[in-house]
Amino acid sequence: MDNLGVFLQIIFWGLYAGCIYILLATGLNLIFGVMKIVNFAHGEFLMIGAYITATIFFISGINPYLIILLSMLALIGIGAVIERFCFRPILGTGKLNEIFLSIGLIYIFQNGAAIIWTDEWQSVKSPYDGISLPFGSLSVPLDYILIMFFTAAIICGLYLFLKKTTIGMQMRATSQNRKGAMLVGIDVERIDVISFGLGCALAAAAGTLWIVSGQIFNPYMGSIPAIKAFAIIILGGLGSIPGAIIGGLLMGLAENGAAFLLGGIWKDAISFVILIIVLVVRPTGLFGEKGD
Amino acid sequence: MKYSVLFIASILIVAVFIAGCTQQPATQQPSTTQGVIKVGVIASLTGPASNVGTNMWQSAQVAADKINSEGGVTLKDGSKAQIRLIVGDDESTQQGGQKAATKLITDDKVDILVGGYSSAVTSSYQQTIAEYKIPYIVTGASSPIITHRTDIDTSYIFHHCPTTDTYGQYTTMFIDQVVRPEVNKKLGAPAARPFRLAMLYQDTAFGKGVQSAVNNTITTGKLNIQLVSQQSYRMGESDFRTPLTAIKAANPDAVYLAAFPNEGAPIITQARRDIGLNTIFLNVENNDNAQFYKDLGQYGEGAIIESRFSPYVAPVGAVADAQNEFKQSYFARFGTFPDMMGASTYEGIFIAAQATKNAGTTDKVAVRQELIALNMPQVIEAMKDQTCSFSPDFRESTFDLWMEQLSYNATLGETRPLIVWPDNLKTTDFVLPSWYVAGSSP
Repeated sequence: MDNLGVFLQIIFWGLYAGCIYILLATGLNLIFGVMKIVNFAHGEFLMIGAYITATIFFISGINPYLIILLSMLALIGIGAVIERFCFRPILGTGKLNEIFLSIGLIYIFQNGAAIIWTDEWQSVKSPYDGISLPFGSLSVPLDYILIMFFTAAIICGLYLFLKKTTIGMQMRATSQNRKGAMLVGIDVERIDVISFGLGCALAAAAGTLWIVSGQIFNPYMGSIPAIKAFAIIILGGLGSIPGAIIGGLLMGLAENGAAFLLGGIWKDAISFVILIIVLVVRPTGLFGEKGD
Repeated sequence: MKYSVLFIASILIVAVFIAGCTQQPATQQPSTTQGVIKVGVIASLTGPASNVGTNMWQSAQVAADKINSEGGVTLKDGSKAQIRLIVGDDESTQQGGQKAATKLITDDKVDILVGGYSSAVTSSYQQTIAEYKIPYIVTGASSPIITHRTDIDTSYIFHHCPTTDTYGQYTTMFIDQVVRPEVNKKLGAPAARPFRLAMLYQDTAFGKGVQSAVNNTITTGKLNIQLVSQQSYRMGESDFRTPLTAIKAANPDAVYLAAFPNEGAPIITQARRDIGLNTIFLNVENNDNAQFYKDLGQYGEGAIIESRFSPYVAPVGAVADAQNEFKQSYFARFGTFPDMMGASTYEGIFIAAQATKNAGTTDKVAVRQELIALNMPQVIEAMKDQTCSFSPDFRESTFDLWMEQLSYNATLGETRPLIVWPDNLKTTDFVLPSWYVAGSSP
């Protein structure tokens, strides 16, 4: 492998990691943008989405890429229930309540998953396992191309939903000015449920793509990605969907570049170094606006 | 506001309740303190090392059951004491380890401790062990620092598993004596050709210990092995593609992994499937675990594991029957097979029982003295001189090790190990797989 080949390969792995981060962080940002709540349990929705996909796959043998939709639908339902019975009652009562609630949810989801699925490490074998495609000077496994394709498709679908549908426009309006949205007759509580459900569905998509890439998983898999998702949305700008996309890609590329150039132990640290630099230079994040 | 407080309080109570539900039952034996030896088992029941930790805890239960069913431990006054196990979950973290050790010692008032997996976690609560002077038989943490460190008193700690120094050296010797000649033969290269070895290691005391042992063995033995790439990763990592890309760029003849099973299986899978790194992967002994074989699937073909206890193979000789009996008892109770850390923890319970029996009391000073003087027949693993004893300097057991090569069984969809080294234990010869690609200078 020549130097250019190695460089391209590292970029490719960075883009792959960035795809997972984009989906997770976009969901988190969608929820924050509309509801302004801090949900540390967002990584647990990634984990539940992964387990739902894996369970359906183990039982039915259906192509896991097709199960993404089922997993996302299931998480819309779970997210709606969590929003209605957990976050809505404490909305506006202070960030401390939200933080403790989400920490409680982390324990509930992790231990609940351990009871249902055990805490053994598990893995899913993609139907395209072992298939590679030539990609310039690289030979790239088909699964990673599919992961990038699905990420792009989901983000494009979200963009169209937010831009072209009435509910999407209402979500944007609520995100921009909650009181103003209420004054013009938007049912913001309904928008909260939809936003939370959609955010969870994006986490489920991230979880599904995580496991079809061959990574092993257990009930504690969501903790680290959730921390990184928070770093990404702060980096990109709180409430900014483009910020989450750019931040996710930047994070994926920086982590893999640092792991290659500086060693694996710098993989996590580099993300936070970049975060600190961006916050010092631009406290609102790359795409954030004052007031968020 | 009142509603919010009540709501969050109720959520926290439910969280704590569910967390409690996932704990293993603390005791399996009588709850009275009369005629009971309380053995604390420190294991990772949750977190990244939960697979191995659960195996250790379950193996301890099988050992206690066997001892108790045979009448228990005879004390000095002629009375019989039953083994009562109390588990402490270290949560695979240093903080969790400190909590577990402190609770077992101060709340549960155990007589002796057994267990400990991650070296980083185990070393975090050694100060507590030193402070309370509790005999502790470490059966999983393999860094030599556990008993070699001088910053705290380690005199109550006994190391019943090979250290990273031992198996790092052993594996490097295997590479030099067995793998290197085969690669040279395949390439038609002269014996003087340096073997190109790469390392991928966990950035912890365990991983660095293996890395250090390999480097030292090469240097002191003046072996014809060149370390062409040494990559590290943080514990619990799941994406290894970038360090593997760097390793592939260095064109190695083989890659030595110092990883836990939940890391080793994805490393090999990602290396062969995603990176196209078709080489020999050498694994440390803790990977000889049923879950490892399951996770690896066909990608494990040709890989090497340094071992002393395997769920799927036993060396010919005295310990084969004892190992099979243990595996059957474990399988009958838990529906799966024990792993190596389980085996040494199983033995750890027997050693604790024997030392207490020899002391005739649960007095900690007396039990420590008996551990120092221990000379009992090997239990299920092959020991040096077929005897369980601790070295006088650093209180370490000495095991007979072997190397396994994995062979794919298409019917099972998994690989199975065959012993290929040393000559007195092997059942077949080491072979380079047909797909193997040797390294070359970049």
